[in-house]
Amino acid sequence: MTQDSLVADNLPYLDISDPGFSIRSSEVMNAREASWCARTNYGLAVLRYDDVQKLLRHPKLRQGSYRWPALNDVTGEFARWWESMLLSQEGDNHARLRRMANPAFSPKLITTLAPKFTELATMLIDEFAPKGECDFIAEFTEPYATGVICELLGLPFERWRELADIAAEMGLALGVTFKKDLPTIEAATKRLFDYVEELVEARRAAPKDDFIGMLIKANEDKSQLSDQELLDMIVLAIFGGIDTTRNQLGLAMATFIEHPEQWALLAERPELGRAAVEEVMRVRPTVTWVTREAVEDFTYNDTPIEKGTTLHLFSQSATSDPRVFDDASFDITAERKPHFGFGGGAHHCLGHFIARGDMTEALKLLSQRLKNPRFNGEVEWLPDSGNTGAIRMPIAFDPA
Amino acid sequence: MKVHVNMDICLLHGQCVIAAPEIFSFDDSGDLHWVEVIDDSQVADAEAASDACPEQAIILG
Ligand code: SF4
Repeated sequence: MTQDSLVADNLPYLDISDPGFSIRSSEVMNAREASWCARTNYGLAVLRYDDVQKLLRHPKLRQGSYRWPALNDVTGEFARWWESMLLSQEGDNHARLRRMANPAFSPKLITTLAPKFTELATMLIDEFAPKGECDFIAEFTEPYATGVICELLGLPFERWRELADIAAEMGLALGVTFKKDLPTIEAATKRLFDYVEELVEARRAAPKDDFIGMLIKANEDKSQLSDQELLDMIVLAIFGGIDTTRNQLGLAMATFIEHPEQWALLAERPELGRAAVEEVMRVRPTVTWVTREAVEDFTYNDTPIEKGTTLHLFSQSATSDPRVFDDASFDITAERKPHFGFGGGAHHCLGHFIARGDMTEALKLLSQRLKNPRFNGEVEWLPDSGNTGAIRMPIAFDPA
Repeated sequence: MKVHVNMDICLLHGQCVIAAPEIFSFDDSGDLHWVEVIDDSQVADAEAASDACPEQAIILG
């Protein structure tokens, strides 16, 4: 037996493809105590804060999900888009695309959207609040997350359902039945590209200084952002912006329902809105792990890591690591080290200013209007790993 | 114009290096370096980097 396999044999093992596997289980916590990483069915799981922090930006690692269509033996328009979009690119090409996209996602542009977020949230809450109950996902987080994207794209709110359905169908590509769902995914991808093309043409005819307008401006120099790359980028903003925000806001509500005193505190002190978003993303991130892949052989913490190895950086496990968080209990007034809910390094989430802004406005308003929220029936959850969240969340509350 | 990075909040994402490689760079050990005084031709790049920084750690003045 070689020394390498001896090291590997001493590591804990986690079966992450078991549908019952939870990133919040005691199994993961025990593994985190035993070692900085665990073996899994797909590469290594990194469990502690300092290691996740370092490996997120390690020069020997690249973003890991670019091969997803190929691994599933899938080709077609979805696969073409997935493999060429920003997140799957590295090095100079990635830097060029990111530079072109940055102005459209700048904090300045987002500040102008904040009043729109409030307006949208108020409209949705007004709809269901008098009943004293709702399905928080169907009646709030989904229309809100999609409505924000409509606002960003300059579409009327009425188009939200259409956009949400397309995104959900395309999102099947991230599931285990990718290959089986391919016809639906391909049809949805084609619809979204047609939609986006129409949008770009309309904005070219009537220029504006908004999100699409900024990207069209970047596209004036085609060597920096080609026509195809322009469309790919807008599709990424739609695809990446809807489910993540929908899930994260649902997780926020579930967390606050378990901590009613924190909800009451937020209602009293709306200036804690932003801190509430950060604290929720620390204890219950929708993105429970971030994937990286080794581009060459290297050694980390005395563990040899071979080229091609997949590393799952467990964000949730890292940000409850007792080595860094003495008291890791949910507290929106605590000063915390940063979480990894938006990833980090070169691939740090491009839409984080928007997400932070819209979730802050939503939580502030919700805490003031929905007093004493509680579950009101069974909550349906996605698996507690990968990108998680609730699909259905019946709640009751005292309207205020 | 002067460029400064608040290293207490910088998380070394390197978005500044992507946005303005003439001003910001990493050395081989992964430490961040930057040009402390820039001329007018570089101001737009510095502002792009400061906007792109996820931690808003870049101070221009
Ligand atoms: S982008 Fe900001 S946080 Fe990242 S290295 Fe540059 S200054 Fe630091």
